[in-house]
Amino acid sequence: MIEMIKVSRTYDPNITALSDISLSIATGEMFFLIGRSGAGKTTLLKLICNMETPSNGLIEVAGYNINKLKGKDLAHLRQKIGVAYQDFKLLSNRTVAENIAIAMEVSYKKPRAIRHRVRDLLEQLQLVDKHDTLTGELSRGEQQRVALARSVANSPRLILVDEPTGNLDASTTKRVMELLTRCNKAGATIVIATHDDSIYQQGNHRIMELRDGNIHSLTRGQLS
Amino acid sequence: MNFWFAVFRQAGRNLRQTWTSQFMTFLTVSLSVLIFAFFYLIYTNMLGAGDRLSDDLRLIVYLEEEPGPQMQEQLRRKIQNFDDVEEIHFISREEAYQRFARQLGENSDVLKDMPKNFLPASIEVIPLKSLRGYNQIKLFSEYLANLPGTEKVQYGQEWVERFYYFTRLLTIVVFLSGTLLILTATFMVAYTIRLTIMGRQDELELLKLVGATNSYIRTPFLIEGILQGFMGSIIGLTALYGLFQWISSHFAGPGLLSLFQFSFFPPIVIFLIILSSICLCSIGSYTSIRKFLRI
Repeated sequence: MIEMIKVSRTYDPNITALSDISLSIATGEMFFLIGRSGAGKTTLLKLICNMETPSNGLIEVAGYNINKLKGKDLAHLRQKIGVAYQDFKLLSNRTVAENIAIAMEVSYKKPRAIRHRVRDLLEQLQLVDKHDTLTGELSRGEQQRVALARSVANSPRLILVDEPTGNLDASTTKRVMELLTRCNKAGATIVIATHDDSIYQQGNHRIMELRDGNIHSLTRGQLS
Repeated sequence: MNFWFAVFRQAGRNLRQTWTSQFMTFLTVSLSVLIFAFFYLIYTNMLGAGDRLSDDLRLIVYLEEEPGPQMQEQLRRKIQNFDDVEEIHFISREEAYQRFARQLGENSDVLKDMPKNFLPASIEVIPLKSLRGYNQIKLFSEYLANLPGTEKVQYGQEWVERFYYFTRLLTIVVFLSGTLLILTATFMVAYTIRLTIMGRQDELELLKLVGATNSYIRTPFLIEGILQGFMGSIIGLTALYGLFQWISSHFAGPGLLSLFQFSFFPPIVIFLIILSSICLCSIGSYTSIRKFLRI
């Protein structure tokens, strides 16, 4: 699903966020990115969804060189990639339901299907009572779940999640991981950037640790 | 859900969220259309009045002496040498006297002691309809004044000249007001769309990230421009029609206005004004989209 060959990203003035990253993530895999703040996890996710372009190297997603895609082709690929951003990117003047629905509206899903899917996701994430609440009025933990719900709403083939449990308690973390695991079992490839070792230690998924923009280790988690 | 349903819903959201600036733009477009259409209506009516008055246009060539049949033929040829004319009438001194007497009606008694040949003989020339521009008439009258035996040529020079300069002035006013108002309306729409784009930068970025196509993002703004143009022109023209009706009902009667027989725009002109307004507002919207919507 994702191929990265010698990918680097530098920012002016001469700050290297990622250096010579080569990586292959298979379709249907759940992959964890770990590392301290500033290690390059978020930059890596942004490069995969073409929010940023690499300074060097090649990135292929679903067989497409994502940096060469433009216009409709790029839009259609992005519809198949769900991203839960670290800063959530929610529209504070829209309701929870409207925020989640956006991802489905752009691919012209039927209004009934959108309503049904939104309600289903809100139930899974225990946010049903917030259906008509403006996202600006939610706590950070709730906003984080809304962002996650939006990223999976359109049943994307690739889900990129940045710190999905940073503001959540243990039981909500469990629900979030259950949702992501269900998406993974349904065939989605999932890349999770996290500090939270409780979510990656309990499986045999691959875990890549970044340090100062370089791959420090690539291991497998242990089955509990 | 299809593309058009989605973009119309998005346009509706935009209008709801930025209704104050949208309303101001709508008012500006309406006023621009109203002012331009007002001058244009006066202009077209003046042209119509000019046409009607030019139907009665005739040049009177006063002669020193009454021409004989040979001379009449010669003069007729010379007049037609300049251009074809609709009609040429030779009016003898006696005929002129009788016409004058008819015009005086009950007061024709005043002519009782006057000799029947005291008025000069003349030629009445009715030019072709295609030869009724001010400059053409002026040239024609100069040509007629140089015919042998011509004493004077009259065609209501002063009046024709004034009317000509008035319509010229009106043409300039229509052109200038049109240009200025076109610029104002286009600029206002462009500015409103620009404000909307800037105020919704976060949403537009998000739409891009979740896979909205360029046309999905751009089309609602274009629809806003089209709506502004359509609604603005409809309201502007409706207001003008109201004004026209009010003037017609309050100033009807044997006054100046009845002389001009004011009429409203024909449907094709109304359609063209609406279409132009839509096009201009769409252009304003499109330029803002191209300039500020980086997708």
